[in-house]
Amino acid sequence: MKTELNKLNPIARRDFMMRTAQAALGVTVMPALNLRAAGGTGPGTAGFGKAKNVIFLWMGGGMTHIDTWDPKTGSTKGPTDPIKGKGSVDFLGGSMKNMAEVSDKITIVRSMSSKTGVHESGTYIMKTGYEPRGTIVHPNLGAWASHFLGRIKGVTLPDSVVVNSGSAYPGSGFFPPALSPIPISNPETGLQNIRPSSGVSDNQFQKRVSLMDEFDTAFRKKFQSEEVKAYSEFYDETMKLMKSEDLKAFDLSQEPANVREKFGRNQFGQGALLARRLVQSGVRFVEVQSGGWDMHNNIDQALNTTASSMDQVFAALIQDLASNGLLESTMVVMGSEFGRTPDINENEGRDHYPLAYSTVFAGGGVKGGFVYGATDKDGRRVADKQVTPQDFQATIGHAMGLPVDEVVMSPSNRPFTVGDKGVPILDIFA
Amino acid sequence: MKQTTKLLSSLTVLALFAGSALAESRTWTDVQGRQVTATFVGLEGDNITLQTADGTMHRFPLANLSAEDQALAKKLVAEAPAAPAAAEGQPAYLANATVGKAAAVIDGLVARGLVRANPERMKTGKKPITNFNAPCNDEQFVRRVYLDIVGRIPNHEETTAFLANSAADKRAKLIDMLLDSPGYNSHMYNYVAEMLRVKDDFGGGNNVRGLPYINWLQQQVEKNVGWDKMVYSMLTATGKMWDKKADGTYNGEAGYLLRDTGMPLDNLANTLAVFLGTDVACAQCHDHPFSDWTQHQFFELASFFGASTTRYQPRRQKSRTKDGMAMTNMADKLMPEVEGLIEKGGGDLTRIRNGLRQFIGANNYAITDLAENSTKLPHDYKYPDAKPGDFVAPKFISWSKDDKNLAAYKQKTKVEEDLRVSFATWATHPTNPRFAMAIANRMWKRAFGQGISEPVTNIDDPNQSVNPELLKHLAEEMKRVKFSLKDFMRILYNTRAYQSEATTEFIAMGEPYYFQGPLLRRMTAEQAWDSYMTLVLGDPDKYKKPLEDLYSKSIDLDLYNPKLDAKTILIKYDAYRRMAAKESAMMGGGLADAGGDMMMEGSKGKSKGDAAPAGEMMENASLKYGNLVLRRAAELEQPARPGHFLTDFGQSPRNLIDGSNKIGSVPQVLMMMNGQAQEMLTNQDSLIFRTMEKVKSPSEKVEALFLSVLSRRPTLVEKDIAKRALSSGDDGYANMIWALINTREFIFVQ
Repeated sequence: MKTELNKLNPIARRDFMMRTAQAALGVTVMPALNLRAAGGTGPGTAGFGKAKNVIFLWMGGGMTHIDTWDPKTGSTKGPTDPIKGKGSVDFLGGSMKNMAEVSDKITIVRSMSSKTGVHESGTYIMKTGYEPRGTIVHPNLGAWASHFLGRIKGVTLPDSVVVNSGSAYPGSGFFPPALSPIPISNPETGLQNIRPSSGVSDNQFQKRVSLMDEFDTAFRKKFQSEEVKAYSEFYDETMKLMKSEDLKAFDLSQEPANVREKFGRNQFGQGALLARRLVQSGVRFVEVQSGGWDMHNNIDQALNTTASSMDQVFAALIQDLASNGLLESTMVVMGSEFGRTPDINENEGRDHYPLAYSTVFAGGGVKGGFVYGATDKDGRRVADKQVTPQDFQATIGHAMGLPVDEVVMSPSNRPFTVGDKGVPILDIFA
Repeated sequence: MKQTTKLLSSLTVLALFAGSALAESRTWTDVQGRQVTATFVGLEGDNITLQTADGTMHRFPLANLSAEDQALAKKLVAEAPAAPAAAEGQPAYLANATVGKAAAVIDGLVARGLVRANPERMKTGKKPITNFNAPCNDEQFVRRVYLDIVGRIPNHEETTAFLANSAADKRAKLIDMLLDSPGYNSHMYNYVAEMLRVKDDFGGGNNVRGLPYINWLQQQVEKNVGWDKMVYSMLTATGKMWDKKADGTYNGEAGYLLRDTGMPLDNLANTLAVFLGTDVACAQCHDHPFSDWTQHQFFELASFFGASTTRYQPRRQKSRTKDGMAMTNMADKLMPEVEGLIEKGGGDLTRIRNGLRQFIGANNYAITDLAENSTKLPHDYKYPDAKPGDFVAPKFISWSKDDKNLAAYKQKTKVEEDLRVSFATWATHPTNPRFAMAIANRMWKRAFGQGISEPVTNIDDPNQSVNPELLKHLAEEMKRVKFSLKDFMRILYNTRAYQSEATTEFIAMGEPYYFQGPLLRRMTAEQAWDSYMTLVLGDPDKYKKPLEDLYSKSIDLDLYNPKLDAKTILIKYDAYRRMAAKESAMMGGGLADAGGDMMMEGSKGKSKGDAAPAGEMMENASLKYGNLVLRRAAELEQPARPGHFLTDFGQSPRNLIDGSNKIGSVPQVLMMMNGQAQEMLTNQDSLIFRTMEKVKSPSEKVEALFLSVLSRRPTLVEKDIAKRALSSGDDGYANMIWALINTREFIFVQ
């Protein structure tokens, strides 16, 4: 079986693996909702399938909405004065100086609301649309896309990548591990260990690999579990990648110094630049992680570093994508596990606040200079057009052209959809 | 023989009780004169169970036996009343049971669960299970038991010694030996640290480190302190982690609550999930079949912590210091003077100020009990039973209506100062309906790869678990061994169920599993790393982290001591900084190097280029290979930084309970194929090569190689493959090492 698989050309082999994966998962395809019939998603609806690629900027810690995308002037006003944006983007937090310049290219959703104020579950729900469960791991959007659209064609690169993290969790969830994003801990070093150790020739490397397969035959025959098989698939994939020309996508040194400066010489900035390079080479879904938003103490100081850096990176990415002609087909999304309390606490900080917060979209068919939904005067409650994490997931899935209304059965025979039956926000698409 | 078969086939094969050596094998005769050679296992009501030499259990009516044998069976029972007393219900309490007997009872319960599950299995088209998996052989056993108990593969010497040993009780002896070795402490600590999300960096940019907490946990595990006592200490701790106690140890247990500073509700949710196997958050999204937690109940529990804070707040403190003076934060008062001194001394104030403030700020991280309980319902509380902002009084949750009569529930809930004590006493009490069960279920999962009730953080209804009898019995056993995790694990490792071959059948996520043997498991990140360390160092427990108390000694500053002066603050801060630098050097890079943006500038000097040659692997406290510090995972940074072998292998980032993963990834495979760790093993100076040096012939060398890496001898086929590999050049051995450490066989625990 394995040798026959290897005889197939790479693309055929991938398709084969996808098909077997689907067969093994017992996928059923049936409309879960009447969404499609109601014109809520599917081919021909606004924005559907416009985003060939997605860059998901993750603001770990809980991004304060009032100091960034939903500034207030009353009693809950933060340490900086709001500044003016473009289009219907009336105001932005005082640190968003660069973003104000490109606000004609973004849509802000100010009416996010979620139920959980805990970092872990908030993160999980914003990345999967599901609450964390002890019995199952849900896939992220990159894995969903690989499942529905197949592995990306013509390149040996992974379908999805998570930058600035040693772990891709929740990764492929209940889908086969082969659909898991590749984690890149440090954008500077990219994919580490991509060449055999010094002194090991290609020939010797091949010898080692075949020895490994020979010695392991009996074990693999005895234990034909999914986990063991998945490991063997990872070895196959990895060896192919090692020989690939596409690897240059991971090499930031190929970028001119001024471009690297523009993104900011910090891990988030360089991560965003790496995301652009990967997307340019065909990688479908890139998550770039950043942190520092858990501002329980001295928010003034914290904003100075974290928010200003985010502002620079986000704006640089949008400008860069636009000038490279990639913004049309690439959706940039910014999300966080929740917002922060409108009232400043006794430590001059803000605490966790899931009731009202913001997300931002740019490119991939999204309107520019647009604000969707609103909170009340002090940023405490959603006043208009509430959006849940499920809707947020479904919106991105819709933009990627995924059938968000289709039910997929997990191996444990439980039904799941992209964004847990969330409804795409069609209003944000041009 | 023919007769035997006939006799047995006429019996109803029902329950199986394996592993019991209560009686010697003898010949049994039935009323028709047919005979079978078997061992007596037990009597249950009107049924007798016998075990034949092939291990199969046979249960049939006692009346089928000859009168003489019936009498004998009854006599045996009277002499050795070890087997479960009745077919239904719980086995008798096993006061003073030997490990073997306790293990046999567990085997009986597992066996019953297996048989009970068969009708369901057959419905899904699976074959019924008639017995445990075949007993694992010595090669499988020695590898598994080293990995499970001491968290690493056995080295060449350990493997060969065990295989050569012909004593009948060598397995039990090995289990005992391993449980008392330092490796047990290391491996158990890793488990606890992952469960409790133990971190070195407590975040918040305040120099607050979890080191004293880490050290405390390691010491507790080392002393095998009962789980109930450990948890009690963590829930009731007060003060700073680095407060020195009368016995000279540090107050590390405070780290449990301080770990979640500013997030008391998260901390409580984790407390309930980890210690009581109770997921209260669940009530928000689905109905519980058994227990229906409300938000109000959650806040009632939170109220036990409502008079405590993780910030030092002497003004609101209940028990103020005796002189009544310690109300002023001296550091605030002295700051201008301190800054003056710095400037006078020619120091760059702007550079120093931030670090100094963080140093001082760290000393505000202290658990303090306050004069009043401030637990209120959240502003968005929306249920009719109370209003947002209402005060909530402390109240325990219960899992069934009779729970309230249990001794655990007889706690004071009025006096604010004692609230945490009340909670901790209730939570860790032997009669708490979930405490013993939760940890027993976890320990079971550690041995078998799956809990009896899954997920282990939410036992919900024990009767819905795959084997309720077993789960309840294990909870009783946990109490009987007085929450000694070591003694509990000793029993599990001695069961026939555990000493079976790993199950080859594929069990899908969420599918019930009945424990016919342990599940095949990928090594944890720590097991993989520690096994590499074994291959490099032989006995990795010899290499410990240095200077464990330096941090606690140097960070402490009593902010409310009226005698504190500006000069002392500066001297202490200076000492703290020097400690940090020293520790960083000794640890091979400390936290200071792990920060985000710093990596950009600082990463150059640490590249592979200046890796120390393997020949420099000398015996000293901080052995390194390139930038890899060669110590066991428990002796490294907690958790390892991104990009480390451990991280790539799925070590928990310690944000979530049990947050590790065993998923493969491209970076992980790249590391195994091309990374520093494999380079170190395939190097001519590695321990494997040195082990091979000891023997002459190529075939002996190959055998040494297999025993070192896979803990078994090569098969005939593998010997041929090896011969071929060796004939094609000098790199043959290195190639084989590489090949073996890259096999699935290496990384999966059979």
